[in-house]
Amino acid sequence: MDKIQEIKDRLKNLKSLPTLPPIVSRLNEMVEDEDVTAVSLGKVIEKDQVLTSKLLRMVNSSFFGFPQRISTVSNAIVLLGFNVIKTLIVTSSIFDVMQSSDIGLWEHSLGCAAFSGIMAARRNIKNPEEVSTASLIHDIGKVVIRSEFPEYYAKIVEDVERRGVFMREAEEEVLGVQHGEIGGWLADEWNLPERLSIPIRFHHYPEKAGEFVEIASIIHISDIVIRAWGYGFGGDKWVPPLSHAAWEQIKFGKAEGREIMEELDLRLSELKNFTMEF
Amino acid sequence: MQVIPIRAAKEGMELAKGAVTEDGKVLCGEGTTLTMAVISRLEKSGVGAITVKGHPVRLPGEKGLKERIKDLEERFLKVKDDPVERALMRLIAEYWVESYSA
Ligand SMILES: [Fe+2]
Ligand SMILES: [Fe+2]
Repeated sequence: MDKIQEIKDRLKNLKSLPTLPPIVSRLNEMVEDEDVTAVSLGKVIEKDQVLTSKLLRMVNSSFFGFPQRISTVSNAIVLLGFNVIKTLIVTSSIFDVMQSSDIGLWEHSLGCAAFSGIMAARRNIKNPEEVSTASLIHDIGKVVIRSEFPEYYAKIVEDVERRGVFMREAEEEVLGVQHGEIGGWLADEWNLPERLSIPIRFHHYPEKAGEFVEIASIIHISDIVIRAWGYGFGGDKWVPPLSHAAWEQIKFGKAEGREIMEELDLRLSELKNFTMEF
Repeated sequence: MQVIPIRAAKEGMELAKGAVTEDGKVLCGEGTTLTMAVISRLEKSGVGAITVKGHPVRLPGEKGLKERIKDLEERFLKVKDDPVERALMRLIAEYWVESYSA
């Protein structure tokens, strides 16, 4: 069987990740209903206590930047929107896997989410939290390669270390497809909104993201800046090439850049409260 | 000056910048000397990080300025011909140099 088909088939039935909480399909049905409210959605989610505590921990971690703690799920839905909450629920198993098996990628993802939040706010993108969330999961393709295809993953890592190539070049050689595409397939499999799935798919080729080019560009630049800063580990040590089309979308000059650095420094330090022992 | 996570704050440190909540409220001004009471008030108000004078904390895994700059340049090796990437590198480097000297 050819590898790409093998990967696509496997995504439909992931063995290494816990199955989606059953609550997801129930929630999907509920949002179809126009009369559904944040309170009623929140009530359904809150029946699952483990999920609720995980969710509240996520929404209160600093990359969303809300001054007050968010204490109920319905409050979180009102503040962050259902797209964000649903995405966090659907991907919560990925976070567990990432936190336990690849802390470097987890930090990279948190850092990108923080930077994306800063840029989305500065560029007045609507629902900036969706941009942070897409950024948080932009490399889920890497998590899946690692957990579902350990033999291929080992080969990819070996290539990166021995030949000093970018991880996605090694992915292309070993699998015939890169993690962005795989992440996009997975996001589609999970019915995540296109506002999230398309930027994930094209975060290394943001000019291909069509109407979501701005969001994809923000994630693209986030990946570059966070790797440049040396925060976390994105699979190889290199700062990736810049898409100039993406840069045109969100570019900043020296003075704004300086402010952005200050904001980023604060955000990244805040995140250390969650990822570091003192 | 140094930006540190609030959990690394200790009594006696001095704020190099006002501690501000996400919605822009200034809780403590520049120059405030931290006490246990101040630290816990900041924590309770949801302040996650503060900017302090000098460079009082060595965070786990943190390297010195020289080494950080050297690593930064190395990470840019594959893209150093791109003027925008070079500008980004300079932006980060200058920010770090400035914060170590301030
Ligand atoms: Fe990536
Ligand atoms: Fe990345």
